[in-house]
Amino acid sequence: MTIEIKNLTKSYKKNKVLDNLSLEIKEGSLFGLLGPNGAGKTTLVSIMNYLQTSDSGEINIFGYDYKKDKKQIKQISSYVPQTYAFYPNLSAFENLEFFGALYGLKNSELRKRIEYCVEVTSLEKFLDKRAHTYSGGVKRRLNIAIGLLNNPKILYLDEPTVGIDPQSRKYILDVIKQINSEDKTTIIYTSHYMEEIEYLCDDIAILDNHQIILHDKKELLLEKNSFITIETNEENIQVDIKNDYNNLIKMLNLIKNRNTPIENIVFNNKNLEELFLNLTKGNLRD
Amino acid sequence: MFKYILKKEFLLISRDIHALLVLFIMPTLFIIIMSLALQNTYSNTIDTKLQVAINTLSNKDTTHLTQEINKNNYFQAKITNNENIKELIYKKKFDFIVNIVQEYKTQINTNKKDFHIDIYLNPSISLQNQLLFKNLLTEIISKQIMKEYFIKNKIDGKTLSKLNDKISIIPTYKEEKFKIKPTSVQYSVPSWLVFSMFFILIPISNAFINEKNFGTIDRLKSMDIPFISIILGKMVPYFIINQIQVLFMILVGIYIVPLLNGDTLQINGNYGLIFMMSSAISFAAISFAIFIANISSTSEEATTIGGVSNILLAALGGIMVPKFVMPEFMQNITTFSPMNWGLEGLLEIFVMGGGLSDIKTYILYLVIFGCSFLALSYMVLKKKENV
Repeated sequence: MTIEIKNLTKSYKKNKVLDNLSLEIKEGSLFGLLGPNGAGKTTLVSIMNYLQTSDSGEINIFGYDYKKDKKQIKQISSYVPQTYAFYPNLSAFENLEFFGALYGLKNSELRKRIEYCVEVTSLEKFLDKRAHTYSGGVKRRLNIAIGLLNNPKILYLDEPTVGIDPQSRKYILDVIKQINSEDKTTIIYTSHYMEEIEYLCDDIAILDNHQIILHDKKELLLEKNSFITIETNEENIQVDIKNDYNNLIKMLNLIKNRNTPIENIVFNNKNLEELFLNLTKGNLRD
Repeated sequence: MFKYILKKEFLLISRDIHALLVLFIMPTLFIIIMSLALQNTYSNTIDTKLQVAINTLSNKDTTHLTQEINKNNYFQAKITNNENIKELIYKKKFDFIVNIVQEYKTQINTNKKDFHIDIYLNPSISLQNQLLFKNLLTEIISKQIMKEYFIKNKIDGKTLSKLNDKISIIPTYKEEKFKIKPTSVQYSVPSWLVFSMFFILIPISNAFINEKNFGTIDRLKSMDIPFISIILGKMVPYFIINQIQVLFMILVGIYIVPLLNGDTLQINGNYGLIFMMSSAISFAAISFAIFIANISSTSEEATTIGGVSNILLAALGGIMVPKFVMPEFMQNITTFSPMNWGLEGLLEIFVMGGGLSDIKTYILYLVIFGCSFLALSYMVLKKKENV
């Protein structure tokens, strides 16, 4: 079972946001969607959650047709927006009770599900306090807890760790990993934070210029982008090796011809940030 | 599900002190203040009578004139001996100064060419009271002269002398059984009730804009909830809050205003009609609020646009200034304000004892107004790709 997106296009007036985008995400994966500002990440997730319409293209989610099976797709999905999408003047319990009831949960079923979501996100101490009094980290946890109420098969998390301290971030990332591994929930995670995606996701795509420019398993992605550093007494030279060693042989011959002594040779993988900046040309985006 | 939607909205409202002030405290204060302030306008007596100085020397005629003025419920007169007019008005606080010669009757009877009476007054005296006093003076002097004429000619003028008592003012109600005295509170409660019901705009727009800005509306839309449920989930709780306002304001008119020496609001058992009218007003007010919330990006913007619109609609609708004091062209303009439709409908019930046939047009106007703004809201949402 997969999520399949084919030739998805979306424009705002004359500005193209998604241009013939195609993507496939496997069930149960922890999928990270990276992209600079304005690349179209939020638009893609919004379309998948019926918050916006596309101009053309097809989406199939776990066998359900996006256009025909809206109700079924909504029932198996949950969207956690980038903002604190709850009522700050209600307590955590009142928020969870309200959203749980909207998901159709009743009485003991609702109570049990709230207990589970509270336990997973460690909100016990905050249940009766109004949400506007929480720290950023607790607010983020409540945001996720609400997203878990309907026991979704697909959980969309749009930049869920923005503006919180490192401890809270680590906690939230571990909770997401736990949800993915224990409940087999497919996670679609968008973020600016490369190290988060690298730590969390096993399947990564980079969205830039309105298209997916790279999509692969994390290990393969990094492996394919490995390089060797040749340290000489004059300079350190980085050589991309990708799938063959021709570049390396050429560079070694060049150094040999210059009679420069080699001090060390180090084998490296590019980290995700380097790869991302390299692919997106490192240009500043509006 | 609906139980929790209602619970959520009521919890949010009960924790929003500003909304509570606007929805309940502001209209309560308006009803109390305006009922007490306008008490004299609807009464045939006055607490503080307007002070009249008969600025001439005392004789039998001027004393009689003073006594006759004092019989009136609105004026209290005394003779001042040709004192300085400005001093009488601004130091001794008289409202009217009547400059009249002692032998005024003789001068009238002989048609003396330069005879005249000057009434000096404090410029703040209303035109209505000016005319009232002028007519009273004319009436008293005419009666004095005619009485002497009748005596002289042996004509029985008993009826004429008591003509004022023979003229009865009879309020005529649409419903025969309806016998409610028109008082200021009967007007104030419907007026400020309509005004406060339209102020439901403040909590509605705050709730909508917060949901929009916090992303809660995106979360709701991503869930399997029909758009109509989201809208009804907003309309029903606020409809109930509007009905609580109606009950609350009626209780203020019945129990609070009399405690402060105001008149008591009387309800003649037309609860069904009041509910029908208040439902139509509520529907119009909520729909208008949803529209304002949809075209505004921030709470400040919604509060400004909505607040100004409400005040204009109230001014045009005869809420702030009673329709009967307006000139004809302004009275015609009031018929374009939804607040006026609401007010006229409630006045039909509260003051005129009207029935369903008398309020059905107003209900229809309010429903059309509500439907139009709901349709406009939908179009705005659709345009923003939010549906």
